[in-house]
Amino acid sequence: MQQRFTPRTGRRIAAGIAGAAAAALMLTACSGDTGSVDVADEAPDELSGTVSLWHFFTDREASVIQGVVDDFEAQNPGVTVEVHEGQDDEKLRKVIAAGSDDIDVGLSYSTDVVGNLCSTGAFRDLQPYIDRDEVDMSQISDTVQSYSEFEGTRCTMPVLADVNALFYNKDIFAEAGITEPPKTLDELEDIALKLTEYNDDGSIKRLGFNPFMGMYENTAAHFGPAVGGKWLDDDGYSAIGSDEGWPVLMQWQKDFVDEIGYDKLQAFTAGLGQEFSADNAFHTGQLAMTIDGEYRTAFIADQAPDLNYGTAPFPTATGFEDLYGSGYIVGNIAGIAKGSKNPELAWALLKYLSTDTDALVKMGNGLKNVPTTTAALESPDLEVSEQYQTFIDIALHPKTATTPPSLVGAGYTQAFGSYWEKFQAGTGGNLAEGLAGVDQEINDSVDLVSGP
Amino acid sequence: MIRGAGRASARPAPRRRPRGRWFAIAMLAPALLGILVFFVYPLIASLFFSFTSYDLVSPPEWIGLRNYEYLFTKDPKVWSAALNTLWFIVFLTPVKIIMALCVAGLLARANRAAGFWRTIFYLPSLVPPVASVVAFVFLFNPGTGPVNHILKVFGIEGPLWFNDPSLSKPSLMLLGIWVMGDMMVIFLAALLDVPKDQYEAASLDGANGVQKVWYVTLPNIVPVLVFSLVTGLIASLQYFTEAAVASGVASGKATVGSGTATTLGYPDGSLLTYTQWLYVRGFANYQLGYASALAVLLFIVAAAFLVVLLRRVDAFNPEGAK
Amino acid sequence: MTITDTRTLLAPGTAPRPVRRGRSFFGWVAEHTVLCVLAVLFIAPIVFVALTSLMSSDQTLTGDLLPDPWQWSNYREVVVSTPLLRWFGNSALYAVCATVFMALSSVPAAYVLAKIKIPHANTIFLIIIVAMLLPPQVTAVPVYIMWSKLHLTGTLLPLILPNLLGDAFSIFLLRQFFLTVPTEYLDAARMDGASEFRILTRVVIPMAKPGIAAAAIFMFFGSWNDYYGPLLYASENPSWWPVSYALATFRGSHGTDWGTTMTLTMLVLVPVVVVFFFAQRTFVEGITLSGVKG
Repeated sequence: MQQRFTPRTGRRIAAGIAGAAAAALMLTACSGDTGSVDVADEAPDELSGTVSLWHFFTDREASVIQGVVDDFEAQNPGVTVEVHEGQDDEKLRKVIAAGSDDIDVGLSYSTDVVGNLCSTGAFRDLQPYIDRDEVDMSQISDTVQSYSEFEGTRCTMPVLADVNALFYNKDIFAEAGITEPPKTLDELEDIALKLTEYNDDGSIKRLGFNPFMGMYENTAAHFGPAVGGKWLDDDGYSAIGSDEGWPVLMQWQKDFVDEIGYDKLQAFTAGLGQEFSADNAFHTGQLAMTIDGEYRTAFIADQAPDLNYGTAPFPTATGFEDLYGSGYIVGNIAGIAKGSKNPELAWALLKYLSTDTDALVKMGNGLKNVPTTTAALESPDLEVSEQYQTFIDIALHPKTATTPPSLVGAGYTQAFGSYWEKFQAGTGGNLAEGLAGVDQEINDSVDLVSGP
Repeated sequence: MIRGAGRASARPAPRRRPRGRWFAIAMLAPALLGILVFFVYPLIASLFFSFTSYDLVSPPEWIGLRNYEYLFTKDPKVWSAALNTLWFIVFLTPVKIIMALCVAGLLARANRAAGFWRTIFYLPSLVPPVASVVAFVFLFNPGTGPVNHILKVFGIEGPLWFNDPSLSKPSLMLLGIWVMGDMMVIFLAALLDVPKDQYEAASLDGANGVQKVWYVTLPNIVPVLVFSLVTGLIASLQYFTEAAVASGVASGKATVGSGTATTLGYPDGSLLTYTQWLYVRGFANYQLGYASALAVLLFIVAAAFLVVLLRRVDAFNPEGAK
Repeated sequence: MTITDTRTLLAPGTAPRPVRRGRSFFGWVAEHTVLCVLAVLFIAPIVFVALTSLMSSDQTLTGDLLPDPWQWSNYREVVVSTPLLRWFGNSALYAVCATVFMALSSVPAAYVLAKIKIPHANTIFLIIIVAMLLPPQVTAVPVYIMWSKLHLTGTLLPLILPNLLGDAFSIFLLRQFFLTVPTEYLDAARMDGASEFRILTRVVIPMAKPGIAAAAIFMFFGSWNDYYGPLLYASENPSWWPVSYALATFRGSHGTDWGTTMTLTMLVLVPVVVVFFFAQRTFVEGITLSGVKG
């Protein structure tokens, strides 16, 4: 095939490249409409119009949200709320990034997006609204506030949270003559090993506690408060390698896994029922104890009402006893998309969802998630069973910790989680070196996104 | 054989009627525009974006080679993703071809009800890929799936299949074999098309069965084999859907709120292919600049492969069909 | 390499064969045993899926092989409680439009590349081959950005519309077919004074019907089974979900719902199989001709 590259062809190619580059630049320079940025001096007396709410709930849980939305519409005749359900983080970002005015209020499952959406302005700065309307931020705990803002910019409000604690099967405890839930990790391991039963062929029949990372809610973030594990320093870089608690926790966990046997645990874990099905291993009694969120109480009430169980704060490690009573908290957050054409209306809805006590209590009761204002937490209308009280207490505990927002979203927890799974399998090498490697990986990731 | 346009203009040609040329341009214009907009522009634009940091919300920011530096020195997953993709390239297509060839060989010899057999083996390839992956993951579920239950009847302890990092790729290979029907049909036709007289001539020369296959059958079907190999390898280079869906379903993890990308690669990153990693970086982490750098690297590899290909394989020779 | 005898591929086993001397009975039995075993293995997954689709959700999690009871109501459940018709409608819309648009744009282009002498024809065809073989992820990011700025994400339009501007694989395939149309017919028509356009529509297209059918089949099923495209463009908008994507979404907040997923899988399978049985001839011809001619 003949190809003669005359100067003419060369110039044509160069022109083509230049043209394409220019097209790319032009296309991306218009980064979508920004709705009006100015905040009015006073909140409007009457609200009217349509506002859209995008959230991730589905089915039964979506109807709880709908109930609260209906209340808002009832209080504000003239307002219609368009609800888009089942929108996970990826989808939320797609719609916000397209700069369209389809989305006004976005409710996200996790705090992963806070870092990026706050720093780029994709979610608007809410501080002017908060100041103007004199929203009482002291109703929200410091920890919860910390995961809903980024580097001083408050672009989201928290709406309900999840808290983790220890669940234990009272019947199995009673059989073995155990009356109190463990308070330290060593006690936990002792009781767990005592309650573990094996089949004739050596495989596991019942576990007192499954230490296997990756099962159900066994994650570094959830176990972290047992040693007050720190994630990021003030600059947003990794604080994992230099923290005193993580090595203690990881070594305990690995020793526990080795005590039972990695392969046995892996096989047992792979065969367990799905986390949110009726076959959940805690429901069936295959696990005597487990760490889980407060929503588990709703699932038990629904799927295993005869289960005799108790809850307690998760045990802490030796040397960290002062942390006992605290736990891990993280929650949903919501913000106003920058492309929103009706920010006042969006703010009104957002304020309602995040600070209105009745709304929070209703959602808290319907979803069995923990409300995020003190007023709602202490409200007499909040349905609190004996087991649920543990979670309220943990939510109010000053030492309760969270995973901070970051520009890399969930990247840093994933990096740590990957390494921990290697460590538990025995392929993680020297722990100190491994954690330093995790630091390096996280810091590199942060550098990649945070500019020159 | 049609001669290329280059050579045709070298000898005196009848003057083309003007309307012939306009016709040609008009018929070709949409496709040319399509090539420009959906091929040429994105390639160049990808190159451009690969030197920027871009999250789709704010305008792209020029950062020079930083993406590439990260790619080659600091990205924790890119090389394992590349290796995973390489595994599929090396194992998936050849095994599929061998299997398809064997089954086609059997069918070619079957006289009666051959259409029936062919339908049975072809049917699985009609199943939408997502459906077949979901079905396979369900069937091979270590705890509740029928496969392990049947194995237990024979006294065999069933492995963890899609939940075992070292078995997840082979499990997908089983799936690949299950859907080899379309390849098999092509091979069958090619086998049946081998001129019978060549077999007879070989018999007269005293060739036995194996020799006939080697000297008569294979040379005749080589073009078809090559075509299948090439298209299969290209497909493996972009392997995405089956691995992504298998990871998601096998992990059994609730995806509440977080999206598809959180389960990609399960178990333990073993199913994370290069194109999935590109998806995670681009559309889950919104690092579109970095994803473009990954795309550029993919292009270089694919282009290198294509250059070798286009020189060697007649079928892709624009000079004409064989 | 061309198929000279389409009889052989449509009804394998009926073509004239040399008498196989020395082919033993045992050979026949061995071959057919292997075939039977393989056939069972190949059909088994579909059978299992069918059986599971009739189980109650709880039973799907046990190891039982047979449903007990046979819950035919699962099918009604799925049809009633999921937007199934909408999903099928979206799939159909995507597949049909993509195919039609492809035919409108790619047939003429392939014809020109095959039969009309124009400058740079080889270069253009080479570019088309490269475009066809290149992984789509290479061009995915800028194309996505473009559609995003046009506010067309959240729909299937970014997947349907580009076919108006040709599809690389289809053009490749169709060109190979058009090459086999004898030029004498075209020249004769030209001598008779027919316009180029009439030649294309009255002479060439009718002669290349199998090829066009093959390209249409590939386009149709490629679109019907497409997962990556809808994942990228339509995932945030459930009203545009095609069946291929919806099937993978039955992992809601409660883990994978096997029962419904299997039932849905069967429902997805049935139309495909039905279409196949009716269009078997065209199918097999198309697949084979494309594979062999390419």
